[in-house]
Amino acid sequence: MNRTFIEMAGRRLPLSNLEKDLYPSYGFTKAQILEYYRGIAPFMLPHLKDRALTFKRYPDGVDKDFFFEKRCPGHRPVWVNTAEIPQDDGEPMIVCLVNDLETLIWAENLASLELHVPLARAGSPQTPDSMVFDLDPGDEASILDCARVALILRDLLSQIGLVSYVKTSGQKGLHVLVPLNRKDTTFEDTKTFSKTVAGIMQKHYADLVTAKMTKQERKGRVFINWSQNDASKTMVCVYSLRARKKPFVSFPLEWGELENLAGLGDPERLQVMHSEAVSRAEKKGDLFEEMLVKEQKLPHL
Amino acid sequence: MPGGTLWKGYIHFGDTDVPVKLHAAIKEERIQFHLLHKHDQVKLRQQMICAYEKQPVPTEEQSKGFEVEDGKYIIVNPEELEQTDPESNRMIEVHEFVKTAQIDPILLDRVYYLEPDMAGIQGKGYDAFVKALKEMDVEGICTWTMRKRSYFGALQARGKVLRLSTLRYADEVVPVESLGLQEALLSEKELKIAGDLINQLAASFEPRKFENEHQKKLQDMIEKKARGEKIAVLAPKRLKPTESDELLQVLEASLRKVA
Amino acid sequence: MALQGIWSGTISFSLVAIPVQLVKAIEAGQVSFHLLHSKDYSRLSRRMFCPEEKTMVPPDEIIRGYEIVPGKFILMTDEELESVSPERSRTIEIVEFIDMKEVDPIYYDHPYYLVPSKGGEKAYQLLVEVMRRTNKAGLAKFVLAEREYLVAVTSREGALALTTLHYNDEILPDADIAPKKGKIEAEEESRMKKSIEQMIENFNPGKYSDGRRKKLLDLLAAKVKEKAPVEAPAVEEEGGEGPADLVAALEESMRKVKENR
Repeated sequence: MNRTFIEMAGRRLPLSNLEKDLYPSYGFTKAQILEYYRGIAPFMLPHLKDRALTFKRYPDGVDKDFFFEKRCPGHRPVWVNTAEIPQDDGEPMIVCLVNDLETLIWAENLASLELHVPLARAGSPQTPDSMVFDLDPGDEASILDCARVALILRDLLSQIGLVSYVKTSGQKGLHVLVPLNRKDTTFEDTKTFSKTVAGIMQKHYADLVTAKMTKQERKGRVFINWSQNDASKTMVCVYSLRARKKPFVSFPLEWGELENLAGLGDPERLQVMHSEAVSRAEKKGDLFEEMLVKEQKLPHL
Repeated sequence: MPGGTLWKGYIHFGDTDVPVKLHAAIKEERIQFHLLHKHDQVKLRQQMICAYEKQPVPTEEQSKGFEVEDGKYIIVNPEELEQTDPESNRMIEVHEFVKTAQIDPILLDRVYYLEPDMAGIQGKGYDAFVKALKEMDVEGICTWTMRKRSYFGALQARGKVLRLSTLRYADEVVPVESLGLQEALLSEKELKIAGDLINQLAASFEPRKFENEHQKKLQDMIEKKARGEKIAVLAPKRLKPTESDELLQVLEASLRKVA
Repeated sequence: MALQGIWSGTISFSLVAIPVQLVKAIEAGQVSFHLLHSKDYSRLSRRMFCPEEKTMVPPDEIIRGYEIVPGKFILMTDEELESVSPERSRTIEIVEFIDMKEVDPIYYDHPYYLVPSKGGEKAYQLLVEVMRRTNKAGLAKFVLAEREYLVAVTSREGALALTTLHYNDEILPDADIAPKKGKIEAEEESRMKKSIEQMIENFNPGKYSDGRRKKLLDLLAAKVKEKAPVEAPAVEEEGGEGPADLVAALEESMRKVKENR
């Protein structure tokens, strides 16, 4: 195993296996992955800050086994920030918080290609900062169908007074998010609200949308997974890589852009690749920055 | 008095077979507490409770699942798990011999005594093996299975007795680099004084000097309470950390104190 | 930074005190499973259960007791337990320095690392370096989770390692294990030594791995391919349309959305 060290902000970080190709059919080494995350860090870190990180580690690449870890690995540098999350059986769980570039690089050195975080911050695990509509295409449906659903959803939410934002999941679907950022919002609120919205969407667009999890219901339709609005659930963080054949990124799209792309009829066009992600972010900034600050209250609850 | 035989097997390498019996080498004694319900002192039991129904679930209704994604599991049934069990046999297979100094002590896990098993085959191989290991200063690296688990360990001779130590796997040891420790600038003066201090405090290892005083004090406290006596609750002592800029003075003061 | 290690306190030798945290040196490579309720795959958790009242008991209703005679207990609170050895529960006091070569490995129990807490980095590195130069280890006692341990603090690759040791009276005598005086035949001895000689190698522990772990991971990988993983049902899958006001507002909004499209 080859090991090198880098110095970052006065901290020593061991890096290993930089030449290892973790996306074999595409060709993307660990060094390149670190390079990606270093480039996207200024835009991504605010979205990771103070959130319990779930690692999805692919030490042997995307075609091999992955490790899914909620606990902060015991062998971590002393400077990695952590938090204690109370658990059902009393024993609190220690989680990692990616609050700085060094910690992000450390996590990526562990081949945590995908970074997943909860909708709430570690300090207030029962208070969601946002509400999510996880649009997941069933068999024989595609991201283009998700785009259609997302646009209708945006209009519906807008009519009821809520601003929303959309990003690709980096896999087959889209995520529509509503920033809330209020101390009195609960998961009970967001779950009830999103479930009701999903029900209405299904009622009016029954051929396109389902709010039910069962496989038969989902065939040819887009499933609005409202149950993701839960303290125990995590979503892939914006700007994270995905562990698929190609290193696509969970990337924010402007609504106008989504409308255009949906009209073109080519699902690949909606996906954003790593290099494109960094250049677009550098050019246009963080399209999701409002997610962190915009305050909205869920009406009619 | 050593404990009873935990397991029987035979050491194997080349043409050599040495039948042995495994005994515990360590006996830990602890004061055991029970967990009780405060208001009626009923002994509590640990149960597996269902998150939704909030009632205990009996073993027949429990499944083992491996979490692959948030809240998503792959169920593994007992028969499938059994297939991953190692084949059990009685052989302690020696793969190589290595110089004792090459075995990093951090790998040492549990230790057992091996007694020659005199039943059947003559136990003579044992003595010759012990003598050879000692005189060559080597240990036998071996693998074996015991009660459906595979082990990796080292055979070592100490006195006239053969010991079997289980070893941890190399990838289970946390590497020091991963702790992310910083290097510090130390002056030769500080290092010299600290070195002198350590030499002043040097002693030979005499394990008989050390007793588990805490255990005794705990026992006293229990007996006092049993007699109905009041016990004083003392707060733990916390030492004030030595600041970096006073390190040299504190070292010098310490040396004066012990010299 | 929230509590990282298993224990935090101070390590001292003479008047020098260094703030540290104890962290694991061994990460067991076991594949761990969760227990699920077979009928709906909801997660099971370990709780304390009162067999008489047949209910779960929350932590604030639990107390520890020592059974002096069957059914009769001496109760102990956490404060009382912590106060048994107050001076030892937050401090590892090194009282002497020894040569680790004098310690029979049978004394070794469990290894940990000590990492410096904020402000203690310099004193920590000093201790690491000076123990490395003098080739000595510190012997100390400390209390962790209500047990008192005899420990050896060693300098290892630029860090402090702490190994708990067994007490002398915890080591069983081996006098009865050793065989009675037997005579070793010279021929047997030389044959044995020759056999051993042929098998001497340089030790590379990385060669050995846990076969069962690999089999388990292979089994899991195979299962993932044949069937999708199971998920506990979302709570409240059923249960009506939603709050009446919200439904009404959404219906109205949907009407407008369809008009505009």
